[in-house]
Amino acid sequence: MSDDADPRGDGDAPETDGGTASQSDAAEDPAELEQYPFEWDEPANNDLAPGERDSVSQRAEKYDDRKLVTGQAKYTADYEARYPDLAYAAVVRSEIPHGRVTDIDASAAEAMDGVEVVLTPDSEAVPDAKYTSAGQSYPEPSPWDMHVLTEHVRYVGDPVAAVAAEDAETARAAADAVEVRYEEYDYVTDPEAAFDADAPQLFADEEVENEIVGHDYDRNRMANIEGELGDPESAFEGDDVHVHETEWETIRQSHANVEKHTSLAYRNEDDRHVLVTSTQVPNHTRRQLAHLFDIPIRDIRVKKPRVGGGFGGKQAMVVEPIPLALSLATDRPVLYEATREEEFYAMRSRHPMKVKAKTAVTEDGDIEAIDIYALSNTGAYGSHGMTVAGNVGSKPLPLYSKVPNVHFEADIVHTNTPQTGAMRGYGAPQGTLALEGHLDEVARDLGLDPVEFRQRHYMEVGDLDEIAGMMGGEGAKRRIRSCGLDECIERGKEAIGWDDIEQPDEDHLHRGVGMALSAQGTGVAGDELGAAQLMMNEDGSFHLQVGGVDIGTGADTAFLQIAAEVLGCDEDQIVVRSSDTDVTPFDYGAYASSTTYISGMAVKKAAEDAKARILEWGAKMLDEPAADLDTGDGAVYSEATGESVTLEDIGYEAAYGDEEREHILGKGTHCTEESPPPFAAQFVDVTVDEETGEFDVHELVVAVDCGVAINPGMAEGQVEGANHMSYELAVSEGITLDERGRAEVSDFDEYHLPSATETPPIESILVETHEPTGPFGAKSVAEVPTNTVPPALSNAVRDAVGVRIREMPITAEKIRAKLDER
Amino acid sequence: MDIELTINGETATVEAGPEQDLATVLRQHGHIDVKCGCDGGTCGASKVFVDGEVRMACGVAATEAEGSEIRTVASLGTQDDLHPVQQAFVDNFAVQCGFCIPGMIVQATALLDENPDPTEREVREALDDNVCRCTGYQKPVEAVLDAAGRMREEGVAADGGRPVGGEPADDTAMGKSADAGGCCGGGCDE
Repeated sequence: MSDDADPRGDGDAPETDGGTASQSDAAEDPAELEQYPFEWDEPANNDLAPGERDSVSQRAEKYDDRKLVTGQAKYTADYEARYPDLAYAAVVRSEIPHGRVTDIDASAAEAMDGVEVVLTPDSEAVPDAKYTSAGQSYPEPSPWDMHVLTEHVRYVGDPVAAVAAEDAETARAAADAVEVRYEEYDYVTDPEAAFDADAPQLFADEEVENEIVGHDYDRNRMANIEGELGDPESAFEGDDVHVHETEWETIRQSHANVEKHTSLAYRNEDDRHVLVTSTQVPNHTRRQLAHLFDIPIRDIRVKKPRVGGGFGGKQAMVVEPIPLALSLATDRPVLYEATREEEFYAMRSRHPMKVKAKTAVTEDGDIEAIDIYALSNTGAYGSHGMTVAGNVGSKPLPLYSKVPNVHFEADIVHTNTPQTGAMRGYGAPQGTLALEGHLDEVARDLGLDPVEFRQRHYMEVGDLDEIAGMMGGEGAKRRIRSCGLDECIERGKEAIGWDDIEQPDEDHLHRGVGMALSAQGTGVAGDELGAAQLMMNEDGSFHLQVGGVDIGTGADTAFLQIAAEVLGCDEDQIVVRSSDTDVTPFDYGAYASSTTYISGMAVKKAAEDAKARILEWGAKMLDEPAADLDTGDGAVYSEATGESVTLEDIGYEAAYGDEEREHILGKGTHCTEESPPPFAAQFVDVTVDEETGEFDVHELVVAVDCGVAINPGMAEGQVEGANHMSYELAVSEGITLDERGRAEVSDFDEYHLPSATETPPIESILVETHEPTGPFGAKSVAEVPTNTVPPALSNAVRDAVGVRIREMPITAEKIRAKLDER
Repeated sequence: MDIELTINGETATVEAGPEQDLATVLRQHGHIDVKCGCDGGTCGASKVFVDGEVRMACGVAATEAEGSEIRTVASLGTQDDLHPVQQAFVDNFAVQCGFCIPGMIVQATALLDENPDPTEREVREALDDNVCRCTGYQKPVEAVLDAAGRMREEGVAADGGRPVGGEPADDTAMGKSADAGGCCGGGCDE
């Protein structure tokens, strides 16, 4: 491995940072309070009253919308016409759940007209290095347990061989013609069975590099994590507490991004390797490819065109190595577009989990202790296994920061089932179901108002949240500087009509309301980096280069609004160019709800850097001190004299002036230890038929505190889309598997994504707070509403007919069965 | 084999393999506004008008379309002169990743052509086989209802009052994006 491909230069797997040793924390001490001060050194221009905002928090048109509604925007596959010599890829995938490839007969495939090459695990162009597809920062908190093409197959769908051919149909036919023989091994698909010492074992220790804390491959455990605050054990043994225990189960959800995983690789005339690819993480992809293919980072270029949805599924480097290997083997550009069937069985999905919640609560309703335990099924490989499971605890539990004793543990187990990975919410939906469903049950049992019960324990401004950091790794202690939970609840209750639900006239119909709260983070605490650069043109317009990744969220538009606010110009005076590793500054990518907060702050810093130079030029041209000047309406103006000079005049003077010249440039780079939580309050209104169990969800109301919404229209869209995904988690089966772990769904007509008629109206309410650590007061928005519908609907059904559904999805059959049990 | 099609008002002879679907053939002919997110005929992104009827182009054999008149979303409006449905999608923030949007807009215009004053339920029914993962359908439904109102007020026919086959948007009119369309905007190494 060259030095370039191995940034640490030790030629070996990096030291894992997956370490999350169990630790106990004492209560707050003064030194700690000092270490996490409440006061934040916020620049004055970051906290603008609504009337002072010209671009920020305006409903600016999403800048690429006109291209999108006319079908003219380009996604990866739309670049095919630019490569006349393009070859098309298809992948041969394991048909068995577990075994070893003993023979691959590619002769029939190779003999087909138009077939360029068939690659197998032994082929020279195929890397034999181990890796993880996770797409995380470095060192990676996921085990290196995969090969690009593998001889040891661990699920129906594992890639075994890859084909390049003249057209997609031929590639597919050739892949079908490749004959693979296997020695079949015993397999296990159930996570509880897999955890048994006698279960078939997926990995030998030596098959994994960069192992994660708590791994025990003899029991198929890729990781175990545990964290503790206070003394929960004693609290549970107290005489004066009620101990409740409940268990919950979640589905295997598909990202179902409508644009399939698509990647195009070629070598350019400078012998550099270019990938045009539908990714959330261009820079991480570049680093991972450098590692795998032993190519210097500088010789790989990853460009992201428009992306047709990611939701975490394109954080994983799922497809990129295939076209790159085929391109190396054929010396042709190669396009690989996964099939929809592959999307369901061979890409990634949300980790299905069983989560136990346990509380110790006094008669008066004080929560003395919470314990959450998660058993996570990571499938055949371990990408995001530990970190997603960690978030089952570290996202929902901090919501109840007043609870003194907290314990969390997770076991992450391999099975011979499709791979899991990052997905919007990232463990929080599983944990939120368990915690918010559990608290509702406890409140009912103790005769407490479920809202008031929560309010007594939840976060407020000024709190030091120790829970998020109690496991190390992702999450850290943090001071809470913004929290709109009270208003979220108040406005959500009003919108759903919480206090005046009318019962239907029919005796067999019962209406109920349920609610749930959620907190997320904003970026991975202490593990983010975003950067941006701004160049001024002589006509006063700008080029903004930013590593941040717009995967359809509108992030590019948010960047434009942030830059325009600082520069005092219209958004359309700025050309944005994002996510091209040759051209745009470094960025960790679009995950963990970081883009607006981290990359957006980098944009703000770059704009301020450029603005400082603009004001210097303005000072020279107006002959006034720069301190008296500001920008606005496309000009530099003086508060003192009322004089002004346009940005265009400054641009020309700076570029073509007589004596001194300067290209006005600004740069910004941003990292932080902070990860402020956004909050959501979910309300669901349901009518249940007690004769059939059938239910009708009338409305989803979700109120979200995302700080200052940079673009309220786009933010509402994020909230509604996330809530739809959350609704699916509550009512749909997800990817079901047969006895051999093979996905039973192969296209959208078999995957039950709630359609337009099946989706209730969603009312999104944005509750503005000001987060001083974020650009113009912003924090994240797009994940937190993913977490809340399963518990809120479970609570609403409980409210309507008195039965509790803990195993998702909530179906008429399950409700009916519970009603029959009574 | 070669088949004859009229695409957005222009007659074209296109090559189509026996197994090829209409979406693939249209795309190979440069009509990248026809998207496909499924393995054939299920996601709705490829919806186009085939002789006036909305069809998922990826679920139609290209040879079956021989002689047909095809209209794609690009026939409805240009970036500088959007169709009211397109404009309503922009104004209502109904577009996120945008991949499903061409099919959704084609379906919405067909609905409004038939039913200029639909209820929310009727809009949802019309969009029922258009898969969208980003929006939860909330803003697209609001956009279609908004478009219906605008078109009733303005007396615009659902086809935008344009002759069939308005020119697709020209590459040079692609707005200010450096990376979203056309060439990659100067950093490109071709």
